[in-house]
Amino acid sequence: MPMTHDNHRAQLNAHHADCTECQDAPLPLDRIATFLETAAPAIDAAALSRQTFAQLRPELQRRAMAVGWRRIAIGLLLSLLPLPLVLAYNVCFLRLMYGILSALLPGTLATYLVLSYGAFLVLLFATTYAAIPLLVVHRPFETPAAPA
Amino acid sequence: MASDEDLVGRLVDGDELALRELLRRYERPLSHFIYRHTGGRDVEDLYQETWLRVVQHAARFDRSRRFSTWLFQIAVNLCRDWHRRRPPEPALLPDSAANDARPAVEARVDAMRLLSTLPEPQREVILLRYYQDLTEDEVAHILDCPKGTVKSRLHNTLARLAATVAGREQ
Repeated sequence: MPMTHDNHRAQLNAHHADCTECQDAPLPLDRIATFLETAAPAIDAAALSRQTFAQLRPELQRRAMAVGWRRIAIGLLLSLLPLPLVLAYNVCFLRLMYGILSALLPGTLATYLVLSYGAFLVLLFATTYAAIPLLVVHRPFETPAAPA
Repeated sequence: MASDEDLVGRLVDGDELALRELLRRYERPLSHFIYRHTGGRDVEDLYQETWLRVVQHAARFDRSRRFSTWLFQIAVNLCRDWHRRRPPEPALLPDSAANDARPAVEARVDAMRLLSTLPEPQREVILLRYYQDLTEDEVAHILDCPKGTVKSRLHNTLARLAATVAGREQ
């Protein structure tokens, strides 16, 4: 907010009330306030900000990218932690499934069913892990940034 | 509304909106401060350099401090460096003032010139205390001097301004 004559006068009064030297030899506060108000720069501050923003934008983008990659790396690492356990569980499950199916159905059909299910699981894992970077980068639960 | 300090925190992650908001909040006080400090010269460079330093050092900003104090501390240091490199000269008439009323422009340029002729310590206390409306404590913190020094500098500057203004009117 631009400082007006009254603002300056109030500031000067506050100084005067607090300053023993001013009280001994009072200064022409009104004239000083007028002077202070007069010294108003004619400058387009918004244009300066636009130029500054354009200049600093690449640096911010570089930082945002670095932060994005760090998030992806952390997200992937965290999601890979339980993977061995999940794989071991599924291998056991497929073996059990094959045991049961091969007792009930012809061997070829049992193998086909178990392999199909195994392929489905591999596809499911691949899709899940591929989605992690996208989810981390786009952060869909946060408010999207307004366009520049 | 996010505080200035929160916005600086977001700058560390490269948040463009945070920079936009900080620029919007401080574009006027900061550019005017630099303009008055240098008499209107190299304002663009100093303004950009100030924000560049804010962005570069955002990670080191102590969030228990006020952002405005930190920002003006950077600006004061840059303006001091600028004065060391180039001796101050009277301000030039700004382009955008060409269409203004003549007497008002002359009075403004005259006032700017007078401000720029003040010794650096006096100019800084006036700019920070009376134009940026910072408290004496904040001014003392920015200028890294005791509050008593700020008070005495203010008095000396006001006395000097009063004498100059009176001299011009005669």
